[in-house]
Amino acid sequence: MSNTPTRDIREIIREEPLMHRPILRVLADGPLTVPEIAEALGRPADEVLFWVMGMRRYGMLAESKDPTDDGYFSYAAVGGGVPS
Amino acid sequence: MDHYDVLVVGSGIGGMESAIKLGDMGYKVLLVEKEGSVGGRVILLSKVFPTLDCASCITTPKMAATIHHPNITAMTYSEVMGIRRGGDGRFRASVRQKARYVDESACTGCQLCESACTVAVPDQFNADLIARRAAYIPFPQAVPKKAVIERAGTSPCIDNCPAGIKAHGYVSLIRSGKYEEAFQLVLDATPLVGSLGRACYAPCESGCTRGELEGPLPIRRLKRFVADRHYREMEGPGVTPAQPNGKRVAIVGSGPAGLTAAWQLARNGYEVKIFEAAEEPGGFLRYAIPAYRLPQDVVEQDIANVTALGVQIATNSPVSDLGALRRDGFDAVLLATGTPLSSGLGIPGEQLQGVVGGLDFLRGVRHGRAPDLHGRRVVVVGGGNVAMDAARTARRLGAETLVAYRRGREEMPAHQAESDDAAAEGVEFRFLAAPIAVVGDSAGRVQGLRCQRMELGQPDASGRRRPTPVPGSEFMLPCDEVIAAIGMLPDTASFEAALPIAADRSVKVDPHTLQSEIPYIFAAGDVVTGPTDIARAVGQGRRAAHMIDRWLTNRPLTGFHALDDRLAAVDTAEVLGRQRRYTRHDPLVADVQHAALPRDFAEIEPPMREDEALQGAGACLDCGVCSECGQCVAACPPSAIDLSMRERTFDAEVGAVVVSTGYKLFAADLKPEYGFGKYPNVITAMQMDRLIAPTRPFNTILRPGDGKVPERIAYVMCTGSRDKTVGNPLCSKICCMYSTKQNQLIMGTLPLADVTVHYMDVRAAGKRYEEFYQQAKDMGASYIKGRVAKITETENGNLILRYEDIENGGEIAEAEYDLVVLAVGVQPNRDPERLFLDEPLGLDDYYYVAEPNEDLNPGKTSIPGVFVAGAASGTKDIVDTILHAGAAVAQVAAHLEQENRTKKVPV
Ligand SMILES: Cc1cc2nc3c(=O)[nH]c(=O)nc-3n(C[C@H](O)[C@H](O)[C@H](O)COP(=O)(O)OP(=O)(O)OC[C@H]3O[C@@H](n4cnc5c(N)ncnc54)[C@H](O)[C@@H]3O)c2cc1C
Ligand code: SF4
Ligand code: SF4
Repeated sequence: MSNTPTRDIREIIREEPLMHRPILRVLADGPLTVPEIAEALGRPADEVLFWVMGMRRYGMLAESKDPTDDGYFSYAAVGGGVPS
Repeated sequence: MDHYDVLVVGSGIGGMESAIKLGDMGYKVLLVEKEGSVGGRVILLSKVFPTLDCASCITTPKMAATIHHPNITAMTYSEVMGIRRGGDGRFRASVRQKARYVDESACTGCQLCESACTVAVPDQFNADLIARRAAYIPFPQAVPKKAVIERAGTSPCIDNCPAGIKAHGYVSLIRSGKYEEAFQLVLDATPLVGSLGRACYAPCESGCTRGELEGPLPIRRLKRFVADRHYREMEGPGVTPAQPNGKRVAIVGSGPAGLTAAWQLARNGYEVKIFEAAEEPGGFLRYAIPAYRLPQDVVEQDIANVTALGVQIATNSPVSDLGALRRDGFDAVLLATGTPLSSGLGIPGEQLQGVVGGLDFLRGVRHGRAPDLHGRRVVVVGGGNVAMDAARTARRLGAETLVAYRRGREEMPAHQAESDDAAAEGVEFRFLAAPIAVVGDSAGRVQGLRCQRMELGQPDASGRRRPTPVPGSEFMLPCDEVIAAIGMLPDTASFEAALPIAADRSVKVDPHTLQSEIPYIFAAGDVVTGPTDIARAVGQGRRAAHMIDRWLTNRPLTGFHALDDRLAAVDTAEVLGRQRRYTRHDPLVADVQHAALPRDFAEIEPPMREDEALQGAGACLDCGVCSECGQCVAACPPSAIDLSMRERTFDAEVGAVVVSTGYKLFAADLKPEYGFGKYPNVITAMQMDRLIAPTRPFNTILRPGDGKVPERIAYVMCTGSRDKTVGNPLCSKICCMYSTKQNQLIMGTLPLADVTVHYMDVRAAGKRYEEFYQQAKDMGASYIKGRVAKITETENGNLILRYEDIENGGEIAEAEYDLVVLAVGVQPNRDPERLFLDEPLGLDDYYYVAEPNEDLNPGKTSIPGVFVAGAASGTKDIVDTILHAGAAVAQVAAHLEQENRTKKVPV
């Protein structure tokens, strides 16, 4: 984590719309935590968190009721899944 | 001019309290707030110390009272530009009401625009922890709860497009995977989506801000991408025209201008018939631009959009009598006949066999009458795009081709890409060569072109250096064919009797309305402007359609928002200044394989793949913020969104001013040793307040690095306060108590979490503050005395704090945490300095608004009649702010009453 240079927040956030479909695709088989989504996409977890929270805010994702034992919530696609 | 008793600047708790109390006393108050809602910072907090009352619960009633008070005019999303004192001692304030682009009276606050919006930006109301949209309602409890569309200006790509196509809009739609919507956005401007996607010279790309970094976005090819996809997957344009309105329009010419106008008018319910002289419609799209750049089937797909709306195209139908069309029952006529004539060389030998005009040559090839040029030497005269097309076409027909141009490479009007492509295909160039005669053999066939060498002198009217002949430098270019591509002209001779025609043979019309002297005749495209390009002709066609519609419906010929009265282009430097660093995006260049001797007319540019399109669109910087994609407009149930709204500036006369502009928070990255902005799990206390608040950005308190529920949380007190190294020796006073509040709330929300506070000393001076602090300790918060020297990050995102452990012998110690909260200090807001234009507002040593007689006259500033309320004059908690506002209100009332009395006493 410490070796990845952090990108400007504005730049990460700007990419959220671009990441909607890749994120919905990796969630197609079931809910995942932020580090799991990050791993599946090959992207840093702090960037994925911005995208996941943006998607949650606008009703595309919802969190699990409880976190895992390691303290992570899972996020699932809400509604139609991956748009065509 | 509007008249008020008091102007209150800023609507935080201090401003609202001042306005309400003054309003209650019967004074007329103008309240100006720069954000889209009143409420300031308190409404964004979780709870308030030491009562732990919910911040929303105490603030929302004040917000509602402010907005609904009969004596308060509250203007949100507005700014005071400047305040001057008038001769009568009163003040004149100039106020800018920014455009919300939303009709406040119609907006219901449903937030559907937000969900539809394709632009994500950091949410300032959530301390940048999460994205909001360019269309947004500031926060859930906003008052007024009305949307704002954030627009910084017109994005440069849109501003540069002479067709008024929303380039940024379709880029942002593609980025969101909305390919059909992107196609429809272009289609809204013109039916020629596929043609522009290939043959437009893309002025949008020349303006693209990304060009200042590593290169512009492939905006044109993105358009081609959505066009290719639409034509592959959809039947027809997918547009339903309006009900027929019974009016008929004749359009003469079916080039980009004519086709675009036909499309726009037909969509609006007009019956449109196009009269085209050639065998097939399309104008230069079909008969000039070579197929290797613009395949025939693409032009046909684009034209099919127009005929799908019922537009009739009569080919082989040249029109010479415009009046006859009127007599045939057309209500209006649009002349869009382009520039079909090639200019002559004007030199001896021009009539020889083997000399041909550039346009005639290209037209012949597209008509299927391509000459066999194998083994022949062709000289193309001219340096424009048509010359490049002619040269590359001649190459494909087998010729050895040379372009002769009278100026240098730098001065060539052809686009660089066109001349580069020509060179890559084996076309040779001879610069500074002006033809003086075509030389022929006894049979009257071309043998060569006699030229003269030129040198470049001073720039001429076009800004290019004027070529002058070098005496005695004549030379011969032996050749078999000469193609003259030096210019094109309109063919308007047959209209001369009916219409005013200019010396350059173009039709004279009003450049704004495109109406001619004969009101029912309009003209558009190159026949008006002289040779330009597809995008300009499209823009003209749109304008003509708009004006014809206005004219036929008896409305003034105005309101063409697609190109007129656009917002000023956003400043590129401003756009680039929004970020501290940029990740490199390698520009996407089409993988065109040029053959040194091309043999056919197959399209040379490969289509864009979906991954390339997403990568290309993903580089967009959202220059204007709102991309004008139009999704919000389509989503809004009451049609409240209107992007043509504009800001309004007005003057108000007021008797007194209350400055209640609050404070700023210390920018935590100014202490780099704490790693804020570098380590995602180092956050500020304002961010923690948002994470704890019921309207929090995440589902609970999570660390931003990876979404983990934190178990060990550290507070670093006095970040940016009591710290001379950052220029702030003052204690910020509120940090100890807000941290104590947060500690208690965290322990309430996350019962398993440990909270440790690294502090210098805790200042709990105030009623019930000491008890509040003790209560946090009793709940389990640990306190470690000693400054934190440095924070470093571990592999898993945890943070190691290095600190001096004063109570254990002053040892240097380290501790590991999941999340670190910096208790950032308060800083002055320097905005008030700019408010007063003719007398400076006094500031104290720390740049807060000064109260020269603070002990006895709190709230009074250095300017008589100007008062300060709340944290603008120094750090204050909520209770102190309310008290201070009360003091300011009393001062204002005393001032106004005294003024009134002075006025009433006869002198
Ligand atoms: C070789 C060449 C290559 C070009 N390449 C590009 C390019 O890559 N990108 C770009 O942006 N621009 C390019 N241009 C410029 C672009 O094609 C023109 O600016 C654009 O086509 C002008 O549109 P228009 O509708 O005004 O005229 P036109 O396209 O010329 O259309 C006019 C139409 O009116 C018809 N007409 C004329 N007189 C009559 C009459 N009396 N009655 C009935 N019909 C009539 C004509 O037959 C024609 O169909 C190129 C031009 C040329 C010549
Ligand atoms: S960066 Fe995006 S918005 Fe800005 S000019 Fe380029 S394409 Fe347009
Ligand atoms: S969609 Fe329309 S009504 Fe709904 S919040 Fe947005 S602007 Fe207001």
